[in-house]
Amino acid sequence: MKVLYLRKVTKTAKYVAVALVSAILGLLIQSAFAQKQYQIAGFLAIALVAIVVVYLTDVSVPFKFLLPGMLFLFAFVIGPIVYTVVMSTFQYQNGNYIAKDESIAQIKLLGVEGDEAGTAFDAVVGRDRSGNLAILASDVLNKQYFVSTSEIKIDLFAADLELNSDGIATSAPGFVLVADSERGSLDSLLSSTRFKYKDEFFVVMEGSDIGVVKRQVLEYRSDTDVFINLIDGRTFADNGRGNYADTSDPTEILQPGWRSPIWFANYVSLFTDSQIREPLLRVFTWTMIFASLTVLTQFALGLLLAIAMNRPLRGRRVYRSIFILPYAMPSIMSILIWAGMFDTEFGAINNLFGTDIAWFQSSLFAKTAVIIVNLWLGFPYFYLICSGALQAIPADLSEAAAIDGANPRQIFSKITLPLLLQVVAPLLVASFAFNFNNFNLIYLLTGGGPSSPLDGDIAGATDILISYTYKIAFVGDVQNLGLASAISVVIFVIIAAISLYGVRKSKVLDSFS
Amino acid sequence: MSEWLRENLWRHIVAVSVSLFALFPIYLVIISSINPTGSLQVTSFIPTSGSLTNFSRLFNDPAIPYLTWMKNSLIIAGTVAVLSVIVGAASAFAFSRLKFKGKRSGIKLLLLVQMFPALLALSAVYVIMERVYTFAPAIGLGTQPGLLLVYMGGAMGVNIWLLKGFVDSIPMELDEAARVDGASAVQTYWLIFVPLAAPVLAVVSLLSFIGTFNEFILARLFLVDMESRTIAVGLQGFIGGQYSQNWGPFAAGSIIASIPIVIIFLSLQKYIINGLTAGSVKG
Repeated sequence: MKVLYLRKVTKTAKYVAVALVSAILGLLIQSAFAQKQYQIAGFLAIALVAIVVVYLTDVSVPFKFLLPGMLFLFAFVIGPIVYTVVMSTFQYQNGNYIAKDESIAQIKLLGVEGDEAGTAFDAVVGRDRSGNLAILASDVLNKQYFVSTSEIKIDLFAADLELNSDGIATSAPGFVLVADSERGSLDSLLSSTRFKYKDEFFVVMEGSDIGVVKRQVLEYRSDTDVFINLIDGRTFADNGRGNYADTSDPTEILQPGWRSPIWFANYVSLFTDSQIREPLLRVFTWTMIFASLTVLTQFALGLLLAIAMNRPLRGRRVYRSIFILPYAMPSIMSILIWAGMFDTEFGAINNLFGTDIAWFQSSLFAKTAVIIVNLWLGFPYFYLICSGALQAIPADLSEAAAIDGANPRQIFSKITLPLLLQVVAPLLVASFAFNFNNFNLIYLLTGGGPSSPLDGDIAGATDILISYTYKIAFVGDVQNLGLASAISVVIFVIIAAISLYGVRKSKVLDSFS
Repeated sequence: MSEWLRENLWRHIVAVSVSLFALFPIYLVIISSINPTGSLQVTSFIPTSGSLTNFSRLFNDPAIPYLTWMKNSLIIAGTVAVLSVIVGAASAFAFSRLKFKGKRSGIKLLLLVQMFPALLALSAVYVIMERVYTFAPAIGLGTQPGLLLVYMGGAMGVNIWLLKGFVDSIPMELDEAARVDGASAVQTYWLIFVPLAAPVLAVVSLLSFIGTFNEFILARLFLVDMESRTIAVGLQGFIGGQYSQNWGPFAAGSIIASIPIVIIFLSLQKYIINGLTAGSVKG
């Protein structure tokens, strides 16, 4: 009876949960669709169908367990990975950020110029008799007034109008001022409306009370997909890299561009464009040196400690807890604390040693600081690993060697170390891979610096690949997401190769092969 | 030279010097936090006077919403810790115990994904959440729920992987016995797996807590408002470049922020070390 009751409750709870999740997803799909985010809407729709099918039928029991985890994994890990690969084949940066149709609309909107006299009017915004957006424009000097909509311009006489003390018309027959409360919601419509003037000229509002006379210079021809400059006749065609460029002078491009597929051009530029290749090579070299030195120093100190502690010793427990402390601290706090300690003027390091070193100004000192801080952060890890591994090595091995006449040094180098390395090798590899992407350390300690941004080079002396990629994507004027994604993909290939090698060594895969 | 000296002296020398190296920054930050002048400059490595001005500034200065940051961090990290383990445990159970098509390739994919540094897809996550913002401003870029969702996804790979390792180690006989008695997969999960795994679930969720608490760059990209920041982003922004001015309150703040993590870490030491040898590296 009780079991039956419980089953009913859980079943009801399940239906309620599925209904609730479906309702939320349904709403999201609808609004995503309305905002033309079709990929996201599509993903959410698949998720919705999957949830309904899996939880309301008995198609697959395993998927009842797997689905939530898989949805998160696809939405926020696998999806972004795929998207990174896609972005890496695009011209995708500041100035090439929007879709092509938006870009065309923007160019049209921006491709105007004033008349030769730079004519402008004082203008107020309102509506005409049929409710169309209209302006009442006043030329105070010449006492000329008119009302204009996007369709028609009507000249008015001062006598019919109400003028304020500046001589600006504030009301006219058939013209209703827009209330201040309504103004905010009209902004975007107002800035894109062209009010009729003379011939090819029109008036656009600039700010809230000035109308400026303009005419269209760039005209879009949709049949040939080009922009024509109506004044001097130049033609701007799609250059295949996300911009309309002058057909006679390819460096002359129209802004803004759009994100355009350029296939492997980002990857090719990694190798061919010396502006990209040289800093990248420098950063890559330092990344390798940094990761190797880090693993080496951390491992060496950890091993030394493990050997020193590998024997009953007075105070061993106290030592042990002290050694673990750097590892137990939240690394972000530790890094920020170290950054303060390396301060040139007031920092504790210079203070302690009586030196006056500008740690983060010189590339060599900055690199040294990075290695020292990372040694502090990571040696406890290898200490813990090595002590565990040392204890796991059977004592009879070294005893047998000692009986055979081997001295302690021989025992260590011929027996202990090889056995130890066998155990820790995969962890050395994992640690290398981790430090290869140790963004927080670099970003918080040196910010990648020192660098000389004057020559347009954003790569600093301590920048590693991942922090450099971050800079390319998010810092500076260019913010080249396409190039950053291409570098990310390259890093991933390197890391995957290193990690798979490590995994193979550690035989994790045995469990399911 | 006695036998003792020859055997042990160098060990103590090594241990003491490394201890000094390990303790120095921690000691420094403690004496800075009680230094009433709050300056970065250390006039003496042995404190002559102590005061709590730095701590009280932390709690009372409206320019440093320290308690709000701390609350944000605890809520975000706590939610991720609980939810990601609930979701991850179910997947881990399926990967370890149930038979289904594509399981092998699923496990391989999982292995690859949990090695993938989430940071590499940063710009993609950014662009995607920017788009989500256009139709659902409550969960898009710049919001805590959005950040939470991204963290959940990021924690999934590692959590499923760790938990799968644990489920693998539970003897099959238990499930088989349950199945013979007529239990369904869902019942086996709730009645056998969850009670058995409870301690491990707790450990994995605390590990996620530490990981999320320590996460910096996503939080930094997502949380722009002073009031919505996590402790890591908040303190970094507070100290950023201004070490000489804000050092005292920063030292006090970093000590308080570190305490919960250090306690969790030390109490989980045994498990974490086992996890380490399984190949995961703490951030």
